[in-house]
Amino acid sequence: MAAPSPSPHKPRRKARQRVGNGASSLTTTETGPLVRTPSFPLAAFLWPARGVASEWELLPLILMGAGLFRWAAGLWGYSGFEKPPMFGDYEAQRHWMEITTQLPISQWYSHDLQWWGLDYPPLTAYHSWLCGKIGSLIDPSWFALYTSRGSSDPTLKIFMRATVLVSEYLIYVPAVVVFVRRFSRLSNVATWTSSVALVAILMQPATILIDHVHFQYNTVMLGFVTASMSSMLADRYLWAAIFFVAALGFKQMALYYAFSVFAYLLGSCLFPRINISRFLGIAAITTASFALLLLPLVAGTLYDVNNGIDSIPDLDGPPPSLPLFQGLSEYLDTDALYYPIVEQLIQMIHRVFPFARGLFEDKVANFWCALNVVIKLKKYPSELLQRGALLATLASIVPPNLILLFRPRKHLLPLAFASTAWGFFLFSYQVHEKSVLLPLMPMTLLLAGSQGLAKSTRAWVGFANLLGCWTMFPLLQRVDLRVPYAVLTLLWAYLLGLPPTSLSAYLQEGSPRWTEWLTFFIHGFFYLAMGLWHVLEFTLKPPPEKPDLWVVINVGIGAAGFSLCYLWCLGSLVMESELLFRPRVKKAKTQ
Amino acid sequence: MAEIYPSLAQCAIVAAAFKILLFPAYKSTDFEVHRNWLAITHSLPLWEWYYEKTSEWTLDYPPFFAYFEWIMSQVANLVDPSMLRVFNLEYDSWETVYFQRFTVIITELLLVYALQMFVDSSRGASKRAAQAAAISILLSPGLLIIDHIHFQYNGCMYGILIASMVLARDRSTLLLSGLTFAALLCMKHIYLYLAPAYFVFLLRTYCLSPKSIFRIQFINCLKLGGGIAAVFGIAFGPFALKGQIPQIMSRLFPFSRGLCHAYWAPNVWAMYSFVDRLLILLAPRIGLPIKTDALQSVTRGLVGDTAFAVLPDITPRVCFALTLLFQAIPLVKLFIQPTWDTFVGAVTLCGYASFLFGWHVHEKAILLVIIPFSLIALKDRRYLSAFRPLAVAGHVSLFPLLFTPAEFPIKTVYTIFWLVLFLMVFDHLAPASSRPRFFLFDRFSTLYITVSIPLIVYCSLVHGIVFGKRYEFLPLMFTSSYSAIGVVGSWVGFMVVYFTS
Repeated sequence: MAAPSPSPHKPRRKARQRVGNGASSLTTTETGPLVRTPSFPLAAFLWPARGVASEWELLPLILMGAGLFRWAAGLWGYSGFEKPPMFGDYEAQRHWMEITTQLPISQWYSHDLQWWGLDYPPLTAYHSWLCGKIGSLIDPSWFALYTSRGSSDPTLKIFMRATVLVSEYLIYVPAVVVFVRRFSRLSNVATWTSSVALVAILMQPATILIDHVHFQYNTVMLGFVTASMSSMLADRYLWAAIFFVAALGFKQMALYYAFSVFAYLLGSCLFPRINISRFLGIAAITTASFALLLLPLVAGTLYDVNNGIDSIPDLDGPPPSLPLFQGLSEYLDTDALYYPIVEQLIQMIHRVFPFARGLFEDKVANFWCALNVVIKLKKYPSELLQRGALLATLASIVPPNLILLFRPRKHLLPLAFASTAWGFFLFSYQVHEKSVLLPLMPMTLLLAGSQGLAKSTRAWVGFANLLGCWTMFPLLQRVDLRVPYAVLTLLWAYLLGLPPTSLSAYLQEGSPRWTEWLTFFIHGFFYLAMGLWHVLEFTLKPPPEKPDLWVVINVGIGAAGFSLCYLWCLGSLVMESELLFRPRVKKAKTQ
Repeated sequence: MAEIYPSLAQCAIVAAAFKILLFPAYKSTDFEVHRNWLAITHSLPLWEWYYEKTSEWTLDYPPFFAYFEWIMSQVANLVDPSMLRVFNLEYDSWETVYFQRFTVIITELLLVYALQMFVDSSRGASKRAAQAAAISILLSPGLLIIDHIHFQYNGCMYGILIASMVLARDRSTLLLSGLTFAALLCMKHIYLYLAPAYFVFLLRTYCLSPKSIFRIQFINCLKLGGGIAAVFGIAFGPFALKGQIPQIMSRLFPFSRGLCHAYWAPNVWAMYSFVDRLLILLAPRIGLPIKTDALQSVTRGLVGDTAFAVLPDITPRVCFALTLLFQAIPLVKLFIQPTWDTFVGAVTLCGYASFLFGWHVHEKAILLVIIPFSLIALKDRRYLSAFRPLAVAGHVSLFPLLFTPAEFPIKTVYTIFWLVLFLMVFDHLAPASSRPRFFLFDRFSTLYITVSIPLIVYCSLVHGIVFGKRYEFLPLMFTSSYSAIGVVGSWVGFMVVYFTS
C-alpha cells in the first residue's frame, strides 16, 4: 500500500508552534537530524512525544507495541509445522524440554542423538529444563518421553511462543533498552531520538522472523551479548565477562563475538595504562562463571554415577571411547571418579562443536557457498578447506580486533562487534543462514549512536537488515511464512524510510555528496536485484536440472551484499577510531 | 496548514501490517456468516436472497449490505470459487481466509477517509485534538477485536456513519449527510437507533428555517424526502416488486430472541439480571416469591432466553418505551440548540439509550456509543471525564468475545496499550472547561479504571485456576456488571455535561 509520506520540507516556525500547542514545557531537543519534520515515518509516530512525554511514559508503550507485533507474528506457523518425519527447530526445542525434564542430567547430551540430540551448551539445557518444568505443570503430555515427539498441539504452540516472548522480555529487551540508553548518552544523542532508535531496534524484522515465527531462542544469546556490551559501556568489566560467558553458555554461536570481547577487555587492561588487577579480575571471574555454568552438569553427573545411572543406559560392556581426544583415554583411568565427568564434558563439547561436518551445510549467503557456485569446493580435501576457512576468517577478523585492542573506545564497540561477526559469517566454517542475526545485532545497535538515524547509517543498517531477511526467505518460504516475512520486512523498511517504500534515506535534504550517490547506486542495484528475484521466484519455477537456481542466486547476491556490509563496518571503524585520520575528519562527519 | 504527525495514512499502514499478521487468528461464526452471504448473493438470483436457508446463518442485513457482498463475491470468484457455493458450509481454505480478512482491511479505508474528512473539517486549535480522536477511532481495540479477529465489517460502516456526521457539520452538505445516513440504514439497520437524532437535527436545520421553527422550507423537505425515498427505493425496490418486504422485515427484526444476548451486554438489563440473581439468595429471608421454572435455567447468562426468578419479566414493549424516552430527552435540547456539537452529543446519547435499554442488545453495539462520543470527547475536560469510564468499560466488555488463549494477550495488551496511549494523549490535549468539574465524578472514574485490572486478572486467570470449568457464568457476569456500571456512570455523567454546556 502506497501512502503519501509527509512532505520533507516544512518551515521551522510551524514545527515550534506544534510543539508549543501540546507541551507544557518547551524543551525542544535541538540535536540530531530530526528537528524540523520527521524524515521517516517512525519518527512521525513518536513526533508528538517530542519534549512532552517522559521516557517512562513512552517506554511501556514501546514495549507493548513491540510485544504485540511479536505475538501476532507468532500466530503463524513455525519451522517444521506438520512436516514429519523430523519436523524442525520447534520440535528440537520442544524435544530438549522433554529430555531435560524426563532424563537424568548425565544422559542429556547422549540421549537418542538421531532425534534432535541436544547440541547447544548447558545454559540452553537448563533453560529448556525450566521451560519444560513449567509447561509440564500445565499439561504433562507436552513433554512426555517419546510419546510427545512431533506434537502439534495448538496449546503447546501457544506455550512455546510464550516461552520465547518471556525469555526475550527478560533478557534481550532489558539489555537493549539499557544499551540504547547508555550508548546514546555516550554519543550525546537526545532522549527522544534514542527512543526512535529503540523502536527501530526492537522492530528489527530478522530477529522477530527467526525467533517468534520460525522458532528459536536466539534473542536470549543476543541479549546476553548486548548486556555484555552495555556493561562495557558502563565500565563494568566483570559483568561484561559474566554476561558474555552466559551468552556462550547459551549458544556457541556467540563465539563470533569472542574475539571482540577479548580484544576490548584486554585492551582496556592495557590502555591507557596497564591495569594488572583488572586483568586478573576479569580472568578470575570468567573462569568462575564457566565453572558455575558447568557445575550443575558436573554435579548431576557425579550424582547419577553414585546412583548407578549411566550416560548411555542400554550399553553393556566397556565404556565407549571418547568422541574427541581419543588419545586422552590412554592417560586417564576409566574407573576413576573423575572419568565420567571428563566423558560428559567431552561429549558435550563434541555435541556443541560438530567438527566432523562439512564446510557449509545448507545454502547460506557466505563466501564459501558463493564460491562453490564458481568452483566446486567438494572436490578439495576437507583439511585444506578447514585450513582455508580458518585463514580467511582470521584475515577478516584481525583488523577490527587489532583496532579495538589498541583503541578500546566505547563508541567503537558496535562497529567492531559487527565487523568481526561479519568476518565469521562470511568466511568461517559451518555457517547457518540464521547466523546472519549475529552481525545484524551490533550493526542495528548503531542506530542508537551518534548520527545513527542520519541518512548514511540508516541506509547501511537498513540495507544489511533487509538483505539479511531476504537471504532467509528460502528458509521461511519452505514453511509457508511468506506473509509474515513480507509484512514484517516491509513494515520495518517503511518505518525507517528505506527502499522499497521510500528513497528518503538516500535522496532527502540537500544535494548528496559523491559518497552518498555511490551508496545510492550500490544499494539501488541490490534492492532492484532483490525485488526482481522475488518476482522471478514467485512466478517462475526453476528449470528441472537446476532446482536450486533461485536459492543459488539468492546466496550469490547475499554474499556480495554482506561483504559490502563487512567493508562498510570495517571502514567506519577505521574512520571512527581515528587511527588513520586525525580529528579534522571526525569534525566533518558530525557537523 | 501545519501537518500533524503521525498522519492518518501512516497509522493506517502500520495498523494494516498488524492486522495482516492477525490473519490466522481465531475467527467466530461471523466469518462463516459472511462467507455464506457471499455464496448466497453470488450464486442465487436476487429474489431468493432473503428466502435461502441452507445455512442457519441466513441473510439478515438490509439490501445494501447484500449488494456489498455481491460486489465482493465478484472478486472472490477469482480467488477461490469454492467459497461461493451455498452448500459448502464451514468452508475456510486459506484463500478464503486471506480474501475475507483482506476485504475487511480494504473496506476499512472508507473509515480512514471519513476520519480524514473529520480532521479536515476541524479548524484551528482543535485540529490536533481532532487528529488524536481520529487516530484513536482508527486504532480502536473495539474495531480490532470485532472486525479483524472476531470478523465483521464495522470499520467500513462506521466510516459511512462518520462521513455522514462530518457532512452534517457544514450547512451546504446537510442533504448529503441525510442521504448518506439513509444509505447506511439500508446497509445495517442497527443504526436505526441513531436515526432519531438525525431526524431531529435535519428537521430543525434543513427543513425548518434557521430563524423561525414555524417557517417550513418546502424545497428542502422535498429534496430530503425525495432523496431518502430514492435511496430506500434502490435498496428495497427490487424486493418490493415481488412483495418480499414482509419476509425481509421478519429477517431484519427477529423479535423472537431473548432480552439479553448470549453474552450479557453491559447494559441496564445486565444489572437487572445481577440484582435478580442476588435476590434469589435473599428472597427466602425477605419473603419474596420465586418463580421456580426460572431457576431451572442454570446456564443463565450463557445461552438463550433469560427468565427472571424474582423481579418482573421485561417485555420488548418496556424496552422500546424506555429507549424512546431516554432518546427523546436529549433530542429536546438538540431541537432548541441545533449545533453540530449538540448533534454529535445527541447521536451519542441515542446510542447510549438504545444500548442501555434496548432489547437483545449485543455487546458489540457499544461501538455505537464509543465512536460518536470519540468525536467530541476532546471538546473539554468535562467531556473527557465522562468518556474515560466508557472507554474502559466498553472495551473490557468486548473481551468475552475472544476466549481462545492465543488471542488473550492480543486483546488485553492491545486494549491496555490503546487506553494508556489515548487517555494520556487526550489528557494532554483536552482544554480546561469553563465550568467547574464534578469533583466526585473524577475520583469515581479513577477508582473505576483501577478496578479493571484485578477484574481482568480474575476473569482470565484466577477463575480458571480456582474453579476450572465450573461457574462459567461468573466471569461473564462480573465483566458485564462491571462494564455496566461504567457505561451507566459515563451515561449519567455525559447527560449532565450535555445539558449543562
